Amino acid sequence: MRMICLALLAFAEAIALRQAAEASPVQHVLVQMPLLVLAGVLISWDIRGRRVWAVPLLLTALTAFLFWMLPRSVDWALTPAGETAKYLSLPLLLGVPLRLSWPWLAPVLRGFLKANALSMLGVLGFLYTHAPLRICNSYLVSAQQDLGFAFLHLAVVLACIWAVPVLFGHPRWLPSGSAGCSKCGA
Amino acid sequence: MSTVSENYVPGHAAAAPQAGAVKLTMVLSGAVFALMMAFGLLMRAAQGQWIDLDPALFYQLLTAHGAGMVGTAALSGAAIMWYFCGRHLVLSGGIFWAFLGLFLLGVVLILGAIFIGGYGGAWTFLFPLPALSGGAWEAGAAAAFMLGYTAIGVGFLLYYLELGRRIHARYGSLVRALGWNLILGREDNDPPPPAIVAAAAVTIFNSIGIILGAAVLVASLVHLLVPGFEVDALLAKNLIYFFGHVFINASIYMAVTAVYEILPEYTGKPWKSNRLFAIAWNAVLIFVMAVYWHHLLQDVVMPPWMLVVGQLVSYFSGIPLIAVTAFSTFLYVRGSRMTWDLASSLLVLSVAGWSVGSVPASIDGMISVNKVMHNTMWVPGHFHTYLLLGEVAMAFGFMAWLVRGKTISQMDGLDRAAFVTYLAGAVGFVTVFLFSGAASIPRRWAVHYEEWLSHDRIGTLFGGLVVLGTLVFVLRFAARLGRREG
Ligand code: HEM
Ligand SMILES: [Cu+2]
Repeated sequence: MRMICLALLAFAEAIALRQAAEASPVQHVLVQMPLLVLAGVLISWDIRGRRVWAVPLLLTALTAFLFWMLPRSVDWALTPAGETAKYLSLPLLLGVPLRLSWPWLAPVLRGFLKANALSMLGVLGFLYTHAPLRICNSYLVSAQQDLGFAFLHLAVVLACIWAVPVLFGHPRWLPSGSAGCSKCGA
Repeated sequence: MSTVSENYVPGHAAAAPQAGAVKLTMVLSGAVFALMMAFGLLMRAAQGQWIDLDPALFYQLLTAHGAGMVGTAALSGAAIMWYFCGRHLVLSGGIFWAFLGLFLLGVVLILGAIFIGGYGGAWTFLFPLPALSGGAWEAGAAAAFMLGYTAIGVGFLLYYLELGRRIHARYGSLVRALGWNLILGREDNDPPPPAIVAAAAVTIFNSIGIILGAAVLVASLVHLLVPGFEVDALLAKNLIYFFGHVFINASIYMAVTAVYEILPEYTGKPWKSNRLFAIAWNAVLIFVMAVYWHHLLQDVVMPPWMLVVGQLVSYFSGIPLIAVTAFSTFLYVRGSRMTWDLASSLLVLSVAGWSVGSVPASIDGMISVNKVMHNTMWVPGHFHTYLLLGEVAMAFGFMAWLVRGKTISQMDGLDRAAFVTYLAGAVGFVTVFLFSGAASIPRRWAVHYEEWLSHDRIGTLFGGLVVLGTLVFVLRFAARLGRREG
């Protein structure tokens, strides 16, 4: 129940950010969209996925992720149709499947996805900070550069979050097993 | 004749999981080393105008030689470290096969890109050269080359993830595996053995290298396929050299585990981690990532402090480790009556070659020298030293040890001849490169001036000796593998 309330809260927060998302791509891509994914993750928090679903669910999540990574999708998300699609697909096709498949993924695969996420953030940062053209038509070039730097900062933060437990051991105050947190498998 | 010394109890020496996969990898590595050396010989002979090589083909060979050698050095190093970490950790064989499969896929893509697509932009794929071939190759060829790198990178990433995960599971944290308890003087009743310290350090810095390398690879790919997308050239150069420097160094840092684990069988004294050893490896871990700036000493737009750091750190990085390793090897060898067979001779040689090769490397890392030496033959001179006489000697030593059997006996005539040929050839070959560098002969030129030809020709002769020695090592290994298994 608590998780469902949190999920609704995240969703409401995302909707409240509508104006901000139109104004700045950073708010849009790095605040609103992750909130929507988070809503999906939280709503399915207490559901246990079945093992046989893990691979199809993961593929669904990755497809949704790849789709929303494209700059033109970000543009499209500001039109009414795209906006509806965004509000539905990010929680349901990315957040939920990710949450349901994640505990079943092999540790090396999880590590690979994380490492890949870092590389891709790097690529996005690379391209957005230096693109001579406007990639998203709805935003200014300067905002595009901000977004690029935001991607890079996010990559650094995530790298630290993921690396610290491996480097220094799992902090005692977190529930843990040797394969990471037993609850979420992160 | 002597058997493995009695006072040394090979702790888990019996456990050699996935030995088959490792042996297969070493056969492949040996064969590719030999083939790439033949390419190198062709280039050297062409520079000396003994044979006639179309410059386009020269650059294709240069690309294949660079990428192939770096890749094979890393492959053989990885196999060696996997083998010895298997003595201390439970590792999943599936990951190793996936790693090898992805590696071979990468090799196919790279060879196709070079010899079918005509790609000749060197192993460093420096932006924007791959996209600016002037008609020598299509964007597709450069893209295939980069996809090949990507496949290899993914394979290595899986390899390190598995290794890191198992080290973490066994030791609780990577810093413990790095010997921090030893450094801080804390008690540790299960201190990490040298191979694990090495594995922990390499896992950390090479994973970082691969993640950054993947970013610049994919960005370069996007640029190739959608030319509207530019990338920042200086940032790309930084990332490429970061990745390249870390990756090629990692190959030696992985292969050296063979020295730590094999030499004790000969000296009778186990090689244990101690405080100094741990400090040296932690220095490598921290500094190997900052030394790549020495590749950018000519880039005046770089912030000067970075270049100064690059110079200083060049000393702090490799040298403590080389010193600790070389010094310990010297002590171990001196204090024991060693039997010099092919394996022990090559391994001791490799430590010496690695140490000697670091000297010209550090010299070139000085900004004042680099102004003159940058892009001369001095550079191939120093890295061929620690590769031919370091990494490759470690790999060949490991191979000789794998097929040695239980008893250790002195080298027979053929082994001795091959060893001497290889040693003389390699020493001569790199010395010529260094002399050429001192004479300001540029590197990476397909066509040389009249005055340089004598350098090139002497180099070719020595290179031929190296190839001969290598052929004996590799064929001997393959024959003995067949004999023991068939
Ligand atoms: C018989 C042995 C070898 C011969 C004859 C040989 C020959 C050559 C030649 C002629 C060059 C080009 C020099 C120039 O810039 O003008 C070269 C470059 C290079 N070699 Fe070798 N080599 C040998 C062994 C090795 C080994 C064992 C390695 C590594 C494990 C290696 C790695 C490289 C690399 C990385 C380059 C730089 C390629 C570039 O500039 O893009 N070589 N070698
Ligand atoms: Cu370097």
